[in-house]
Amino acid sequence: MATLNEKKTCSERMENFRRFVWNPETKLFMGRTLINWVWISLYYLAFYVVMTGLFALSIYSLMRTVNPYEPDYQDQLKSPGVTLRPDVYGDRGLQIYYNTSENKTWERLVTTLQTFLTAYTPAAQHLNVNCTGDKYFIQDTFDGPNNTKLSCKFTSDMLQNCSGIADPTFGFPEGKPCFIIKMNRIIKFYPGNGTAPRVDCTYVGDESRPLEVDYYPVNGTFNLHYFPYYGKKAQPTYSNPLVAVKFLNITRNVELKIVCKIIGAGITFDNVHDPYEGKVEFKLKIEN
Amino acid sequence: KTETGDEEEKYKDLKGNKKKKSEDLKKELDLVSVAKLLFHLGLSSSRAAEILARDGPNSLTPPKATPEIVKFLKQMVGGFSILLWIGAVFSWISFGIQFAQGAESPFDNLYLGVVLALVVILTGIFAYYQEAKSTNIMASFSKMIPQQALVIRDAEKKELPAEQLVVGDIVEIKGGDRIPADIRLISAQGCKVDNSSLTGESEPQSRSCDFTHENPLETKNIAFYSTTCVEGTATGIVINTGDRTVIGRIASLASGVGNEKTPIAIEIEHFVYLVAGVAISIGVLFFIISVSMRYKILDSIIFLIGIIVANVPEGLLATVTVSLSLTAKRMAKKNCLVKNLEAVETLGSTSIICSDKTGTLTQNRMTVAHLWFDNQIYSADTSEDQTTQPFDQSSPSWTALSKIVTLCNRAEFRPGQENLPIMKRVVVGDASETALLKFAEVILGDVMSIRAQNKKVAEIPFNSTNKFQLSIHETDDPNDKRFLLVMKGAPERILERCSTIMINGKEEPLDSEKAEAFQTAYMELGGMGERVLGFCHLYLPENEFPDTYPFDTDSMNFPTSNLCFVGLLSMIDPPRSTVPDAVSKCRSAGIKVIMVTGDHPITAKAIAKSVGIISATSETVEDIAKRLNIPVEQVNRREATAAVVNGMELKDMSLQQLDDILCNHSEIVFARTSPQQKLIIVEGCQRQGAVVAVTGDGVNDSPALKKADIGIAMGIAGSDAAKNAADMVLLDDNFASIVTGVEEGRLIFDNLKKTIAYTLTKNIAELCPFLIYIIASIPMPIGTITILFIDLGTDIIPSVALAYEKAESDIMNRRPRNKKKDRLVNEQLAVYSYLQIGIIQSVGAFVTYFTVYAEQGFLPSTLLGVRVDWENNAINDFEDSYGQEWTKYQRMYLQWTGYTAFFVSITIQQVADLIIRKTRRNSIFQQGLFRNKVIWVGIFSQIGIALILSYVLMAYWFVAVPFAILIWVYDEVRKLFIRRYPGSKKKLEELREGKTENVFWPRACLFPNLQSYMLEVTLLLVSPPFKPLSP
Repeated sequence: MATLNEKKTCSERMENFRRFVWNPETKLFMGRTLINWVWISLYYLAFYVVMTGLFALSIYSLMRTVNPYEPDYQDQLKSPGVTLRPDVYGDRGLQIYYNTSENKTWERLVTTLQTFLTAYTPAAQHLNVNCTGDKYFIQDTFDGPNNTKLSCKFTSDMLQNCSGIADPTFGFPEGKPCFIIKMNRIIKFYPGNGTAPRVDCTYVGDESRPLEVDYYPVNGTFNLHYFPYYGKKAQPTYSNPLVAVKFLNITRNVELKIVCKIIGAGITFDNVHDPYEGKVEFKLKIEN
Repeated sequence: KTETGDEEEKYKDLKGNKKKKSEDLKKELDLVSVAKLLFHLGLSSSRAAEILARDGPNSLTPPKATPEIVKFLKQMVGGFSILLWIGAVFSWISFGIQFAQGAESPFDNLYLGVVLALVVILTGIFAYYQEAKSTNIMASFSKMIPQQALVIRDAEKKELPAEQLVVGDIVEIKGGDRIPADIRLISAQGCKVDNSSLTGESEPQSRSCDFTHENPLETKNIAFYSTTCVEGTATGIVINTGDRTVIGRIASLASGVGNEKTPIAIEIEHFVYLVAGVAISIGVLFFIISVSMRYKILDSIIFLIGIIVANVPEGLLATVTVSLSLTAKRMAKKNCLVKNLEAVETLGSTSIICSDKTGTLTQNRMTVAHLWFDNQIYSADTSEDQTTQPFDQSSPSWTALSKIVTLCNRAEFRPGQENLPIMKRVVVGDASETALLKFAEVILGDVMSIRAQNKKVAEIPFNSTNKFQLSIHETDDPNDKRFLLVMKGAPERILERCSTIMINGKEEPLDSEKAEAFQTAYMELGGMGERVLGFCHLYLPENEFPDTYPFDTDSMNFPTSNLCFVGLLSMIDPPRSTVPDAVSKCRSAGIKVIMVTGDHPITAKAIAKSVGIISATSETVEDIAKRLNIPVEQVNRREATAAVVNGMELKDMSLQQLDDILCNHSEIVFARTSPQQKLIIVEGCQRQGAVVAVTGDGVNDSPALKKADIGIAMGIAGSDAAKNAADMVLLDDNFASIVTGVEEGRLIFDNLKKTIAYTLTKNIAELCPFLIYIIASIPMPIGTITILFIDLGTDIIPSVALAYEKAESDIMNRRPRNKKKDRLVNEQLAVYSYLQIGIIQSVGAFVTYFTVYAEQGFLPSTLLGVRVDWENNAINDFEDSYGQEWTKYQRMYLQWTGYTAFFVSITIQQVADLIIRKTRRNSIFQQGLFRNKVIWVGIFSQIGIALILSYVLMAYWFVAVPFAILIWVYDEVRKLFIRRYPGSKKKLEELREGKTENVFWPRACLFPNLQSYMLEVTLLLVSPPFKPLSP
């Protein structure tokens, strides 16, 4: 600005500014007449109203075109993620540390499991049907109430020793804790290609080292009748099948790295970028 | 005001230097008498080597160049670089914090910082390279063939490089040589020097051994370094070498004159402030908002970086540099060599050109312009490449006149040029004789054979006492045994010696009536600023002067009076044929052309009139006085549009009077000015607020060239010092080349506006994601690195392509831009880009964003407020709108797909933006889509680069297409309104006149820069939409 070169006192500048804000001679407010400002504001108002309208219209037509039952593309979700309960995350992933002699340290974990399993009480599952077949539960029609599809029942008692019914502490105080493995839902995903996928837990990096684990249900499988998933709108009461793992011979006072993979066709666990795709890794340390 | 004070002091310093110098000289002159005795011996080689070691080589030290590393570092911290450095440092700080906390992916920030730093360094290197390239052109240009000097050393004549001359050397010079150092002459034979590079006077001055003046600049016995010896020979003793020569002192003075910032540099600075102001204020605002919305400080800092990166057009400064160097290249093709890239645009904003006369406006050679015989004035062709002369040549008087012109002439063509056009041949002889020789050669053919047929028997060469030249020849008619005496010289002297005058081939007595006619013709030709020569002859009676008559030129044993007057010929250094057109172009382009010359006012005025610097209808005060027959003092000065100012008058003028003249006269000629006065004139013009271009060739011009906004040196006639001081070099010394340069400069200014508008638009589309991300907590729509892909990837070639855009209307028909009002980036441009087109782009990009997420499972309603969970590493079963569950990485991958889609839709809309920016007023249908092929290269490269950089479903490419079309239609409508209602713009301008200039933001008195751009930012945010980008 040319004006910068001229040295002026502060008061002159203030005066100039005041004159800029309201110039009584020319009746200009900030360099324009008031009516000019009104027109400008009106123009911008109209412009932005129109743009907002256009945006709303675009979103509206987008909503009209998307399929309400399943997304148009699923290229981003090819293999399901796997999660663990209880889920305590440290700086680098899941870290489950507790001390058997300090109740406080494991009660938290137990509560997490209990809370998680409340969704699997018979009461919570009463809308779902009992399924027996070991095949995919394929439904091409809407057989459920209110134009929905049926979902299979999964109740916590299926987890037997890890159901929290017989042992509400899930074996934590004894140092034989139960963990629950959950596979993420993907619409119309058929895991295992006919054979039920199963959970397999090993030490990380040393798969030959024996890790004594009990799997519930037996073999740690996800029964095929829970698949495929038809989406929230078709199966509003669907709940993920679970597998519980109970570690039996955990060495005390050592941090162990354990990975639980889901073995089954169509489930990959070798994505180096995603530590939770097809597997779940966690650190376990039980202290005395 | 302090600045001008400094310069005045420097000015005095120059004069002081001169005084000191004259004292030095006196001492040295005493030595001369001793040296004279020894001059045939010269210095011994060993002594010379000693002195050389003491004084250094005899060459001018080139002006101190800024060290390369400083230039380089300047590029690294200038402009937006600081902002980006800040961004990089913030990234590293947040990396450090995250790393210390042991967060999962701290390296993202490290990389971002590295990328930002790389961007700065690469653009810095690039800009530095461009600058260096254009400087190199000049460096190679200034390397001249080493000059040789003929020196007497060890009593032997030796050819030595002029650099090795030392004080005390005896040198010999002859016609055509450049004087190798300041020399005190000890012998001279008809020596004349051309001091124009020193004093600006183009008339050769004679030199002798006589001490004639106290002032070394005036005395006749000193020849100065870098001037040329036109004719004769001389021997002299070197009294000063290198920087201690007069020229050296002046040259070093030039480097003291501060270099002003170029207009484009000011514009870019203004633009950088503006954008940086927007970036910082939005960044800080949202930093505060995000902190108060309980975001972590670290996150807020990362947002801040994102906002800065989005707001800074990283690639723009490189683009500007490329555009400028493209124009510089184009200008170099048109003979304007640009030394400093920014000067390209300066030329476009030039409002006053102070031009030299000789060589720039004129051809720099005397040419016969008019003839007078048979009581009639004929005009001759003075164009550069004449091959015939159209005037009536049937009269026997012409035959007689042509014979005198041919015979009474000592000039000769150098041999071996038979194949060259006559006008281009080199002639040995002075300027007038050369003109006459060429004139005769064009009309009569082989002059040399005519001279051979008319053998010369006696000759008296021209000298300043008798002011005539005479020769006596045998005739080519074998039957005519008479001798022919031919004479030419100053017309009044010739007429004195005549008793008869030839009319239509017949000798008639010279009565008062005929003398009157002669007087009128002489006055008329002289009034045209031409150098007039009179011609007469006499056939010597055969009986008195037989074949064997011994002609003796000393005793003059032949008649030199009662001759027969034949005619007059007048010569002038004619204007270049392209100049009148160029001057009228300047006129319509609103550029005032001022002639500044060392020549005589009458000649200057005549040339000014013939090239149109003084138009046919305008009058000077003197003209009016003459017409009305009243004294000059009584004339109303306001009535005179033209003015011819003599250097002597200028000397006594106060600055105010000079300003008055510059203000009130539209057509000005400064005559008889010294190069020092040129500086005063330039400063005067600059006081009027003008952007001044100055042409110059002499060393003495260099202060004026430096002082000017754009100094233009002459490539052919220019001295090295002038070229060093100038910003531009005219390779062909032709004024018309300046005009093409102006055109290019204006075009690039227009096109840079387009480039900037194009580049600024997408800033909003890059910025909005951050703002909405912070406020609505949606997943991040675009990443910082992706923004860099746009700024430095897809957008670079298209924005350069805009530099190839042709002019929309005749840019040479509008006034030069007003430095204060017509900015490179004005508020309309910024507001229109930011608040209108930018908003449409953002909406288009967001629609793409929501489409991608919706089609992958996240409907818009799910996205709002989702940020915290979305970015939570501990949630690996994040549920979408359809009940599917996503791990963190799967979500991130989707987010990157979103980035790509956002990127792609900005790219698509930038294609539309590119097309609308092609024109500012005209419809795209008027301008044509295919005239600028480079635009298509831009569009294809843009899409190509986007394709390479991104992997995204093809469908997402098309979501933003309707918005791209909307942008185009919207802008077409806007342009239609501008064309339909052009007056509204003018009215608005008038309303605003003088108001925005003196406005200040009150709270920032301590930071003048800050306040200016805070003001600009305010204006920008509240300005009107419906104004054209000012033409």
